[in-house]
Amino acid sequence: MKSIKPSRTNIIWHRRLGLSVFLVLIFLAISGIALNHSPALKLSKTNLSNNWLLSWYGLEKPAINGFKLQDKWLYQNGNNQLFLDGQSVAPCSAPLRSGVGNAQSIFALCANALVMLTENGALLETFSQLDGLPANVQAVAAVEDSLYLLTDSAVLGFDPDSLAVTATAKTPAALSESLTVMAAVPESLTEQLDETGPSISLETVILDLHSGRFFGQFGVLFVDIIGLLVCILSITGLWAWLSRLRQINQ
Amino acid sequence: MFNSAYNRIFFVGLLATTLLASPLLSAKGVFQSGPDFFAEVFAPHKPQSKVLWMTADIRQQAEKILDRPVVGLRVRYHQLDGKTAWILEEIGKEMPITIGVVINQHKIAKVKILAYRESRGGEVRYPAYMAQYEGAVLTDQRKLDKSIDGITGATLSVWAVNKVAALALYYHGLVNPVESTNGQSK
Repeated sequence: MKSIKPSRTNIIWHRRLGLSVFLVLIFLAISGIALNHSPALKLSKTNLSNNWLLSWYGLEKPAINGFKLQDKWLYQNGNNQLFLDGQSVAPCSAPLRSGVGNAQSIFALCANALVMLTENGALLETFSQLDGLPANVQAVAAVEDSLYLLTDSAVLGFDPDSLAVTATAKTPAALSESLTVMAAVPESLTEQLDETGPSISLETVILDLHSGRFFGQFGVLFVDIIGLLVCILSITGLWAWLSRLRQINQ
Repeated sequence: MFNSAYNRIFFVGLLATTLLASPLLSAKGVFQSGPDFFAEVFAPHKPQSKVLWMTADIRQQAEKILDRPVVGLRVRYHQLDGKTAWILEEIGKEMPITIGVVINQHKIAKVKILAYRESRGGEVRYPAYMAQYEGAVLTDQRKLDKSIDGITGATLSVWAVNKVAALALYYHGLVNPVESTNGQSK
């Protein structure tokens, strides 16, 4: 029987292939193990909102809108929290519909409650629908020392001390100029809201890196080539091992 | 199991009853608004709406009773003579439970769940259970003097109601100081 020696060329290429893919293989192995244990590692619950990463995925943080009350901005983050000039002041269910301030207090109309703050942002009290806030209030307005709640068709007087809501003869149109208009909050304030806006889960990022999709079509092609190289590596390795085995047997 | 027509009818009837009754037994919901609660407990009179301002000492005691930070500079309550009514919130397991508490002469006159938002443990709102709180007073350790029975599966909700009941008694004592024997309030 003709002896089969492992080809020198075969071994050289096996070595070269192994050296060229081993780093990628180690990464694929670790990322694969991580994805297999994603629930335990809470990868899907770990959100990343890094600006570079968001822009890589084609996502942009939306502009944060709020209300400028004299020299302070009243706005909300994406986590149902009310902010006054960078200071977290109270819970506020989205959306923040309206904001207004008078000499002593600041009022924020959230989805289901009117949040009352001192001029410095300390929470005084929350007046919710369960406490008697009408369900269809769309805005809050201050005219001199009086406070009004505006619905689609009526204007209600509101006493912040007794929380009494009373009917008035005013119309919403008459008070429209007294409303504080919503405007974009300066970036210097919104940059502090790291939990606002879109985010990407760590699981998605690892999965995309594992499959190569993170780098687009070329990334997928690269991982495909790595897969083919691993197949070739297996074949050249098996060939070398079989050749050596036969040589020993002879 | 279905060896007779009687068994089949019984099983189908039981299944239908369970399906029809399940929405009625749902624990979650808003059961009464604040204004309706005050109107009910003070009927036929109209109570006065007042606020208790939270000083550093009051906040510290309230936080000790609730075992968590207390936010807000003032607490709203309604009063008529020596009777006060409070609507307070406390987290059961994950969601806040809105609880109405009526105090009369420093004793709990009524406790009522106004809104329950947890998916389980809503048995705590049954009137028969709430009746346990009636007559309870606050001890020097700021606890209820009565032992309140627990409910399997609603332990956290029961603890939340206990804390709120004790807090309402504490707040009531602040706005209606107990007159000592020598005529001074304490």
